Amino acid sequence: MATLPQLIEEDVQHLDKSLREFISQTDATAALIIDKGGFLIAHHGDDSQFDMTTIGALASGAFMANQTIAGLVNESNFNSVYQQGEKYSMLVVNVDEYCLIITIFDAAIGVGVMKYYVAGTIKQVAEALATARNRNPDGGVDLSMLNLADTQSVFRKREGE
Amino acid sequence: MAIINQATKELQVKVVYYGPAMGGKTTNLVQVHDHVQTAAGNKGKLVSLATSSDRTLFFDFLPIEAMTIKGFKTKFQLYTVPGQVIYNTTRQLVLRGVDGIVFVADSQYEKMPENVESFQNLMDNLATLKLNLTEIPYILQYNKRDLPNSAPLEYMEFLLNNRELQVPSFSASAHKCEGVFESLNMITRLLLQKFINQSAPQHA
Repeated sequence: MATLPQLIEEDVQHLDKSLREFISQTDATAALIIDKGGFLIAHHGDDSQFDMTTIGALASGAFMANQTIAGLVNESNFNSVYQQGEKYSMLVVNVDEYCLIITIFDAAIGVGVMKYYVAGTIKQVAEALATARNRNPDGGVDLSMLNLADTQSVFRKREGE
Repeated sequence: MAIINQATKELQVKVVYYGPAMGGKTTNLVQVHDHVQTAAGNKGKLVSLATSSDRTLFFDFLPIEAMTIKGFKTKFQLYTVPGQVIYNTTRQLVLRGVDGIVFVADSQYEKMPENVESFQNLMDNLATLKLNLTEIPYILQYNKRDLPNSAPLEYMEFLLNNRELQVPSFSASAHKCEGVFESLNMITRLLLQKFINQSAPQHA
């Protein structure tokens, strides 16, 4: 079993820098890096008006479902999903076997701009994540301080119910 | 696979509620959403992608942040799968990246074949992801214990928990919120135990 993938400060800084550059190049509203399992890894941009966690989970599911549909019609070249809106549009692009980039942008901006600039961002993000995955496991996070005796009360019902 | 972000001291884990159709998977999430005690703002919205008759079409999704444990903010993402047989491809998609499973079995006698079939389906779908149940923490929840035609627990244990390594099992009546939090806390316990074992420093 592989050790846990971990992101240290340096990884997060790399990812954040890549997203920041991408947003500055494209004027996108927000950009997210998500795991294909639905986890939100990093995000940048205006997060006050969007529920990033839920967008990440749903976009991951939508991408994977569309990829499966593409496979059913014998299309093996599948790497993005574009949702065209009236206010905001969204582009979900494949990074590698594990991750996706989601960009949310004003509908007035052409998707071509996003596709052009995201190519460079994909490369940077893929490199940063590969570095994180391949890091020496000796640097393992120390979770031994977790008190397992406490887990029975990690989730509690509200009082009086 | 869980994500650990040491920069923000966050641990994100994915728990999937699996089981036969109409067994109570969505009800589990609804009860957690309705009754969980949280600090303001750390309970996400329950998202259900369901048909007009409230049958799960894609999945239900509930992001929830547990209390901080020893400095780690633990974010749980709870998913259900659609139980109906025709949605098997969707179940495979939802299982991707799973860290722990709550198998919700229906206690009614006539549902036993569906329970067994769904459990086998779970193992088959994990195999397509190159996973197996010996590697993933899971527990069994025997739901609908309040119904008069429920099968004896011993019988359900024999059908579903008859392996070399027996896993924790819980009686539940999810619509009354009985057994729901017990199940969630136990899978949490198993998950954290696994992470501790995995993250122990490697010595030559």
